[in-house]
Amino acid sequence: MKKVLFAIAFAFFALTGYQAFAQEPELSPERKQAIDSLALEKVRDLSKYIKLIGSKNTPWSEANRVIDRAEELFAPDAEIGVSSLSKKKIEYYKVRQYLERLMRLNYDRVEIDWYKIQYVSDLQRQPDGTYVGVITIFQTFKGYDAEGRLVYQDTTKKDITVYVKRKETQIGGRLIGFWDVMLGDMRVKETTMK
Amino acid sequence: MKKVLRLIVPVFMLALCFNVDAQILGNLGDVEMDERALYTMTKQMGQFINRFNYEEDQYGKKLNSNDPNFRNPEIRKNVLPLLFDLENPRTSGTLRDFFVEDLIKNNQFMEFLGGQWYSEVSAKFKWKGKMVDISMIMALEEEGLGSKWVISNVFFSEFQKYFPQGELAEREKHFLHPMSHELDFMNIYKIFTDKQIVEYYASTKYMPDYLTLFFYEIKQGNLVFDHVDSVKFHVFQIKNWYFEVSWFNRDGYNSGWLISNLYYLKDEEKEALLKLYQPTK
Amino acid sequence: MRVINTNDKNYSNMLKQFKSIIIVAMIALVTLCGATSCNSSKKLSKKEYKALVEQAKKDLTAILNEETEWTLEEQLERINEIKKTDFTKKNPEIVEMIERAELKVTNAIAERDRVAELKRIEEEKRLRELEEQSKPQTGLAEYFNLIANAKDVNTANKYIAEALQLFESPDAVVLVRLNNYGDYDRPTTAVNYLNYLKDQKKVTVNVDNVKFNAENKITELELIKK
Repeated sequence: MKKVLFAIAFAFFALTGYQAFAQEPELSPERKQAIDSLALEKVRDLSKYIKLIGSKNTPWSEANRVIDRAEELFAPDAEIGVSSLSKKKIEYYKVRQYLERLMRLNYDRVEIDWYKIQYVSDLQRQPDGTYVGVITIFQTFKGYDAEGRLVYQDTTKKDITVYVKRKETQIGGRLIGFWDVMLGDMRVKETTMK
Repeated sequence: MKKVLRLIVPVFMLALCFNVDAQILGNLGDVEMDERALYTMTKQMGQFINRFNYEEDQYGKKLNSNDPNFRNPEIRKNVLPLLFDLENPRTSGTLRDFFVEDLIKNNQFMEFLGGQWYSEVSAKFKWKGKMVDISMIMALEEEGLGSKWVISNVFFSEFQKYFPQGELAEREKHFLHPMSHELDFMNIYKIFTDKQIVEYYASTKYMPDYLTLFFYEIKQGNLVFDHVDSVKFHVFQIKNWYFEVSWFNRDGYNSGWLISNLYYLKDEEKEALLKLYQPTK
Repeated sequence: MRVINTNDKNYSNMLKQFKSIIIVAMIALVTLCGATSCNSSKKLSKKEYKALVEQAKKDLTAILNEETEWTLEEQLERINEIKKTDFTKKNPEIVEMIERAELKVTNAIAERDRVAELKRIEEEKRLRELEEQSKPQTGLAEYFNLIANAKDVNTANKYIAEALQLFESPDAVVLVRLNNYGDYDRPTTAVNYLNYLKDQKKVTVNVDNVKFNAENKITELELIKK
């Protein structure tokens, strides 16, 4: 009798546990689309910031302000992992460190451009429920010396982690639900394209 | 000549499939460049899966499940061959065609959380002062509200040296007889005289747990991670097939994550391999 | 001298005819002149006149001292009624009171109508302003474009400083709505959003809803993705 009761109790808890898991709401295609667009917008924002930071025409104070804004896009523990065709081992940088390095590059003129193409992965869920995705973009970088000669160029593939979490906050006495989009680790890999 | 044709035809098909003009559909950048190669590149493993199933179009736009092209077998038949490394005869010949036919006929798809696919992370570690190669096998595991990658096994030649397979005849010679207990196991000291075969005295079913060894060596400070060399994927999910997916960083229209190896492997034969990749499953 | 014989038949008939004539004349008189108001021909008794004077004085005093509950129109009507009696010979003070009362009441009516008109105009203005406020601020949208398309950083900063004057404070809340499913981007502030426009050089939103404080400054701005 005890065994039967135990089995019933086990089945009950197992089923209710499953139900609780299964009841997590699925995002509709329209909402997924809105989140994808939002995530892509953050990456686009980053690309604009990188262009401003790298440009020698940006005044130093503005570049620093933009570094602050770019850093705000990222989660606090985010890192940038860079490798090249000649140096396959990944070099790790903190976000601020990477952007400051970009600002201080020793070229007279810099051209940073982004291909129009981008690829947005499907969003997967982490154990804590946060959605995580990766957006891939391609950037070309050209560095010129004082004489206007092209001294360096590369094309890199950037894979950027995007975390999306549903949050709520009180504004003007009402509860606002918003999608908190944060960028995570970014993998920068040189391609063979020139 | 055949080799050349085998390469040219799919590339031509690729060019047709991805017949995009440079002024495209992305909205990120502001510079007009030839992006065809970037569109054809299978940029993420996730994109590989989406293309494998034909759940997105050639521009990377996700297809709705009620879109008539979603998982369309006719389109899939044309796209699937393009997911192979066309410079490898093993993955660009009749075996590939047979595989594609089988996939379409039996309506087989790959699922991200469908299990039976693994990532092999080849990395360099420092072990007792010298650089060594270790492959970490990663598996996706569901937990809580989502999933995560876990280390399911480790391949390190040094570990494997400690546990050679050994001849069955030799193994069968080494045992503690069934009445050993009556003598307080006084004979047990013998099993430790030859440390190389001490595991012969474990159960016949015993399999060394390399993962625990790995964690132990890390904890002891004997093994220190240095860097990742490469990543590839092993996919056992498709009935009667195994394939490997690797990253191809090259120019042209056949790059990114592509099938680098393919075997016809009956599901019964997969069991032993799967145990190697995920012993605890 | 003829002696009238009252028993004479002819005399009796004459009397009867005379009585009939009197009766008819009286009927005619009543029909033509009314029972009580035939002023022109009816002469008021002293008592009646006195009562009229007293009532007129009482009513006019009340009107002049604003001690009546009659409406202005009712007061004017009463004055006109009093005017129908001729008080000039015996009570010229009532005539003077009538003049004063009439002037007072007509002035009061004019003032009342003027104030009412003013109030109506003000109310119209208030409603118009309310309507303007509930509409998205075109001024704000213009600033967005100016900031995003500014030729350089200094110009953009100038426009940002101007645009911030529309807000209660630089930290006024700015919400960006993504769709109609209640999905928003992370809330930000006015100064951050305007600087964002400067950096991104693109306006991807429309003004959707604006909240103001008593000084007509924006306390909360809701934008919607185009």
